[in-house]
Amino acid sequence: MAEVLVEIKNLKKTFENGTEVLKDFNLSVNKGEVVSIIGPSGSGKTTALRCATMLTPISGGSISYLGKKATWEENGTVHVANKHDMKEIKQSFGLVFQNFNLFPHYTVLQNITDAQIHVAKVPKSEAIDRAVNLLDRLGLSDKRDFYPCNLSGGQQQRVSIARALALQPKVLFFDEPTSALDPELTGEVLKVIKQLASEHMTMIIVTHEMQFAREVSDRIVFMEGGVIQAEGTPDELFNAIGNTRFLEFVGKYNM
Amino acid sequence: MSFGVILSQLGGGMVKSIEIFVLTLLFSLPLGLFVALGRMSKLKILSGIIKIYIAIMRGTPLMLQLIVVYFAPYYVFGINISSGFRFTAVIIAFSINYAAYFAEIFRAGIQSISIGQWEAAQILGYNKAQTFFKIILPQVIQRIIPPVTNETITLVKDTSLSFVLSIAEMFTIAKQIGAREASIIPLMIAGLFYFIFNYIVAFGMDRFEKKMSYFR
Repeated sequence: MAEVLVEIKNLKKTFENGTEVLKDFNLSVNKGEVVSIIGPSGSGKTTALRCATMLTPISGGSISYLGKKATWEENGTVHVANKHDMKEIKQSFGLVFQNFNLFPHYTVLQNITDAQIHVAKVPKSEAIDRAVNLLDRLGLSDKRDFYPCNLSGGQQQRVSIARALALQPKVLFFDEPTSALDPELTGEVLKVIKQLASEHMTMIIVTHEMQFAREVSDRIVFMEGGVIQAEGTPDELFNAIGNTRFLEFVGKYNM
Repeated sequence: MSFGVILSQLGGGMVKSIEIFVLTLLFSLPLGLFVALGRMSKLKILSGIIKIYIAIMRGTPLMLQLIVVYFAPYYVFGINISSGFRFTAVIIAFSINYAAYFAEIFRAGIQSISIGQWEAAQILGYNKAQTFFKIILPQVIQRIIPPVTNETITLVKDTSLSFVLSIAEMFTIAKQIGAREASIIPLMIAGLFYFIFNYIVAFGMDRFEKKMSYFR
């Protein structure tokens, strides 16, 4: 049986102003799976991802990693895992941001090695080895001593992918990884994600790139209004008899 | 009185001014950082107290604060004040006063860093202290150099206020010589000294700013 890495059950999120962004979100991701979450703006996909990565506290339901509960709601109170478990849980996932969020005062190499050395306690020489390997794989070998401000957006995003991968997460989340890039630079980032998919990296990707989602995903989740409207393999969803609302949404992208 | 004697006496006062300047910066900058953190604390009581402290420090004359700090041990604790406490009182008063201004500069700097930097650090597993000191603070320092330079230059000139506690800093000595010689020249020379001092401060800060501009 496939190993379940992430399990999100009945996830609810209501903001302080009363807006119900997630009503009942369920997602279970197996090892090696690539899942894309798509949907119109305001559908709750980014919020779902922020809840899953513990950046935003949940309002209801539960989130588990490797069978361990990270956060859950019980009788109106939201709990989080104890410090020890949380450390393990946090090490099991990584996140690539829409705006990269590289550390501007660190070089490319430092961006990739610093957390390895000071958080994961990897020996410095090994951390550098890993970083150099990753830069090599992502075609950035000649950029290791550059500062982020001297890189293009596409290069910055690839560095941020390398930074996440360096901590060897079991699952990698992407929050609209190409939305801040112009179309010319989008390709190089998507290529890297495809490469990772071919290496069976488990990934959960929030994206607006329909064609990319279709090509790379094992499963597509279509969200609207805080709930999952449709879910299935790309073939199932893009089929003419698929979910009408999904096809209407995708149709606007002129596929 | 020869010109040389005037210069050497002013020079002695200048050393006192520099001492006040250096010690105040040494204490008020780190203190200001912690005051800023307290000001941003989620603990309402802490941030409230800090707000009042900043309001008092900014809202009353530094000269009055010098006097209050000097006499506080006597009026509050009944301790006899030795004359040696005068210089200590000057440093305490200047440090807590400048810390209030620096705190607001630090706060503005910290709040100008995008939330994404905190989130990226959180995702990568940095703890709060690591996030603040390794990731956020270096970026804050780069951004606050210009306003800190402003305050630092003001501090150079404010050192003259320590005359209220009879500290023989440069301006006090210039006034004494000027009165004795019935001449404005000593004051003008003191002015030139302040100008040169500040020119050096501004030059140093400019170099530091350039050195810190290796990232954006």
